[in-house]
Parts: sequence; structure tokens; C-alpha cells
Amino acid sequence: MSPSSSSSTVALPESKPIFDWFFALAVASVVGIFIRAIYFTPLEALQGAAQKIYYVHVPSAVGAYIAVSITALSALTYLWLRDERADRMAEASAEVGLIFTTMVLITGPLWAHRIWGAWWAWWDLRLTLTLFLWFLIIGYLILRGAIEDPAMRARYSAVLAVLAVLVIPFIHLSVYFQSAGLHPKPIVLQPEKPKLPGEMLTTFLLSMCAFSLFCLALIRARYRLGVDRDRLAILEAERGL
Amino acid sequence: MAAAWLVARKDLAIEFRTRTAFFSALVFSVLAITIFYFAWDPSVVTPTDRAPGVLWVVLTFSALLGLQRSFALEEHDRGIDALLVSPIARESIYLGKAIGNLIFLCAIQVIAIPALALFYNMPVGRPLLVVSGIVLLAMIGIVAVGTLFSAMAVNTRLAELLLPMLSLPFFVPVLMNAAQAATHIFAGRPVAEVSHLLKILIAFDIVFVTACTLAFPFTLEE
Amino acid sequence: MPDTTGPFYAAYIITALVYSGYALSIWLRAKKTREKLKTLENS
Repeated sequence: MSPSSSSSTVALPESKPIFDWFFALAVASVVGIFIRAIYFTPLEALQGAAQKIYYVHVPSAVGAYIAVSITALSALTYLWLRDERADRMAEASAEVGLIFTTMVLITGPLWAHRIWGAWWAWWDLRLTLTLFLWFLIIGYLILRGAIEDPAMRARYSAVLAVLAVLVIPFIHLSVYFQSAGLHPKPIVLQPEKPKLPGEMLTTFLLSMCAFSLFCLALIRARYRLGVDRDRLAILEAERGL
Repeated sequence: MAAAWLVARKDLAIEFRTRTAFFSALVFSVLAITIFYFAWDPSVVTPTDRAPGVLWVVLTFSALLGLQRSFALEEHDRGIDALLVSPIARESIYLGKAIGNLIFLCAIQVIAIPALALFYNMPVGRPLLVVSGIVLLAMIGIVAVGTLFSAMAVNTRLAELLLPMLSLPFFVPVLMNAAQAATHIFAGRPVAEVSHLLKILIAFDIVFVTACTLAFPFTLEE
Repeated sequence: MPDTTGPFYAAYIITALVYSGYALSIWLRAKKTREKLKTLENS
């Protein structure tokens, strides 16, 4: 018995496999990078083995930024076009972004503890920013979880996402001034310059690619899960469950 | 704008009649001020050093108390529907609610700040006046964001959890800058030294009052 | 060179576990949803 499409008010894309060749490729590259980082990259003299955490810490952060940027853009798109696919994408990348951000917050202190002698440093701009990003994403997902009606859920979370984008520069500035004290140095946007020699640089760059790929693959998979869930919700609503 | 004042007056009139939120916020403030005094050994950390921290804790929690109730009021009898049916612009509803919340907070602070100064032996005079100005700037930012989140949270299942949870990352830049500025003012530094922090506060207020006013209609549409 | 292999192992193991755990959770949730869809569509 085929589901009647005339009674559904939305046209859902067909169910695609959650994990396909793209995902397999992404996983393969991450596994490859792990092997390269562990076995085929030299140890750094000053920090020892812990320096290798860099190869998963920074790429996780990049993945997190990719994911939340997608969420923010999707949210704006939803507010503009009211297309539920944008909302579904926002939700998918938020969840993936949370995982990546969590990994940044776990690998960061693991790396820092031996180097700084402390688990946490509020004065470190990036670490504190990442923590607040984590809170923002959690808030976003909890807000979504607390609203039943799909349209209201999409609208409210989109508003939150836009406000979150607006607040991030303020958090950045505030933490910067908090640590700089009374005499702040001028803020210059400097791109991260990995001063890594040869093989380490290659591992680092390859890792950035691998994790970015993995992030996109996870978002894709999570999006497809979202499609299935929405289809289920529509069917359940039709059957009056 | 006149409509906004009407909404604000209505909310304040309701609050004035029952005064429950006002008194609970006040009682909380006095409680916090007292507890924080006794929680530290005064010979290790002087009350004057502690006072700025207590100030912000008191402000934030009384703000959350007041904000919780600002849309919860409407929830009870679906008063919000009456507001929506009226010819008042959606934005004015938001501004009215926000102004009402701001006045509520100011009323609390008018009592809490002198109480703090009194019990903690703080220097009264120009520093306290400047800090009151900083508190006002901070309150505007807190109320702007908090009123919008209150409007959203009230329609959800986890209202009491959501409001503080969503607000935290937004209050943080306000509190960081305001607290740092206030501490320096209390330590006797000139205002010019903290002007960069005040500029961030003012920028925050402008950006978020505007953004939340524009975002509010999205939280209401049917 | 200081011996920092402890945090190194911990970080890499946790990384592998968390990311694969998340991928697994997507797969399991999808399986559950598709099973429910199948029973509904066949009923």
C-alpha cells in the first residue's frame, strides 16, 4: 500500500541511504590521517607526544565552525524563504557542530594541561569562545526539543541562531578585553599561521581536509535522518497517532 | 512609541497591584547580599572587594525573576491574544514589555545598590554614581535580550529552564564588560580608562534592542 | 622530551570513540525510524 501523497502538505525528498560512498570516503580519510599522525609524523621536541593532539584539536574546531556557519546560513534562509529543508539543515548541522565543539573542549584541556599546567584558562580567548559557542548550540537544541509545532520550532530556533551570530563578536571582544586588562593591544585579525616544519605541516593540512570532509559527511547523514523523521511525523499525523 | 508606554504601564500596573515578583526579587537581593557577606572571611577578602561581584549576581538573578513573569502574565488568560488583536504594532508590544521590565529592574536596583553600599561599606559619591550608570547600561542589554527570550520560552514546555539557559551566553558579554568597568571605577580609576568597555556595552545595547525588536514579530505569528 | 603520551592516547582514543559513536547514533536512529515507517506504510 503506497502512502497517499495528496494528503501531505509538504513534498519530502525520497529516502536516501544514510551512509553512502561519500561518507565512506570521509571515514577513510580520517582513519588515514589518524594513522599518519600517530605513526608517520615526527614527535615535537618540546611538548612530546601531546603535541600530536593538535592534529585533531584544530581540525575539530574547523569542523565546528563549518557546521555552525551552515546552521546560521540555513536559519537565515529559513526566515527568508520559509523552506523547511533549510530548517532541517540547520538542525542537522547544529547537532554535528555540537559534537565537534565538544571534541574541541575535550582535546583542548588534554593538550593544555601538560603545556600550561592548568586544565582551563579563562583568559584564553579561543577556549572561552568555544565554551560559549557550546552553550549557544546546546541552547539551540534544547529550544528545538521543547517545541512541538514544526513551524514554531523552525521560526524560534532560526531567531535564536541569528541572535547567536550577532552575539559572538561581542563575546570575542569582551573576553579579549578581559584578558588584556586596562591597556588593550590593538586587535589585528591574524590568520592562524602554523609554524610547522615539513611533515608536520602536511599532516596538519591533510587533517584539516579530512575532518572537514567528515563534518560535511556527518551533516549529510544527519540531514537524511531528519528527512526520515519528518516523513514519519507526517505519516503518524495522517494516521492520527 | 506611545503604544509601547501603554503596554509598559499596563504591565507595571498589574505588578504594582500584586507586587509578588517585586518582593521576591527584593527579598532575594537582600538574602544574596547578606549571604555573600558572611560567606567569606572579611580579613581575607574585604567586603569592598566582594561588593562588585555581589552587585552583578543580584542584578542577574532579579532580572531573571522579573523576566520570567513578564510573559507568564499573559500566558494565564491568553492576554497576549488581546494584545495581538489590538491595533498596537507588534514591535510596540515588545518595547512596552521591555520598558516595563527595565523599570521593574530599576526599582529593585534603587533599593539594592544603596543597601549594598551600606552593608559593604562602599565609597559613596561619584564612583557609585558612575557605577549606577554602568548598571543602567547593563540592564538595558539584559532586558532587551531577556524580554525576547521570555516571549519565546513561555510558549515552550521547559519555560523556566529555557529562559536562563538561552540567556546565559547573551548576558555574559554584558556582565563581563560592566563588571570589569565597575571594579575599576570602584578602585578609583578615571572613567576614560574604561571607555572602551563602555563603548562595547553601548554597542551591545543598540544592536540587541534593534535586533530583538525586529525579531519579536517572528515569535508571535500564527 | 617530556613524557606526554598519556594525554596523547586519551585524546586520540576519545576522539575516535566520540566521532564513531555519533555516526553510530545516527545509524541507529535511522534504523529505528525506518522500521517505524515500514510498519506504518504496511499497515
